[in-house]
Amino acid sequence: MGLLARALEMEGIATVVVAWNGGRIRLVNPPRAVITRLARGLVFGHPGDVEQQQRVLNAALSLLEQDAPLGPVVLDEM
Amino acid sequence: MDILENKTAWQDHFRQNWLAELKQTGTTNWKIYQHPRNEHAPGAPGIKLSESRLMLITSAGAYLRDEQQPFDEPNLYGDYTLRTFPATTPFSALAYAHGHYDPTMVQQDAQVGIPLRHLEEFVTTRQLGELAPRVVSFMGYQPDSAKTVDDFIPHVVALAKEQAVHAALLAPM
Repeated sequence: MGLLARALEMEGIATVVVAWNGGRIRLVNPPRAVITRLARGLVFGHPGDVEQQQRVLNAALSLLEQDAPLGPVVLDEM
Repeated sequence: MDILENKTAWQDHFRQNWLAELKQTGTTNWKIYQHPRNEHAPGAPGIKLSESRLMLITSAGAYLRDEQQPFDEPNLYGDYTLRTFPATTPFSALAYAHGHYDPTMVQQDAQVGIPLRHLEEFVTTRQLGELAPRVVSFMGYQPDSAKTVDDFIPHVVALAKEQAVHAALLAPM
């Protein structure tokens, strides 16, 4: 996904990657990323936890309004 | 700026090590797999979300159960194809073929990885301009990153352009 984000940004399309696997996504260096401490299979939050899902989504979408590249934003969501 | 810096060297290492062992033994050895790395990042300008069209991209292996072929879940070499489905698709119409994560959670609540109903609320409240008509879906198991760059990514970029999107939300499962 990090590679895809880079390709889209090179075409002028703003992207944000929401990653549970911060270590690996940092290696690829995407232009904008939100990194959580959630487990694999839980990108935005736990099943039924609407507030958590919306918090992560809000954090990700807000990055799209900033010019890239940005350093990854780490969220304390687990 | 490159999508994958030093792609040729990465591909040589991949072919001579991980891929060669897979061909020889039929098993995947992640100890000799070199994860792709980039030193520099490209960057597009920020957008005004409330006036923008956003495309959702998921690697959950989601597909339309009654209309599309599942992804090639057991293929150790990976699956570099994609599916698209309408952003208005009810979650009950989706199935998942991936094999490299536990689908229990996304089956229980698709919004954990495919937050279409949340995004619709963002549109309703005018925080987001609109959703792209189609979601891009693929199976995130693509070990050959050079093949991803050469054979897969151009199709997604073309879809983004066709749908005239300003932004993309990428949700790796």
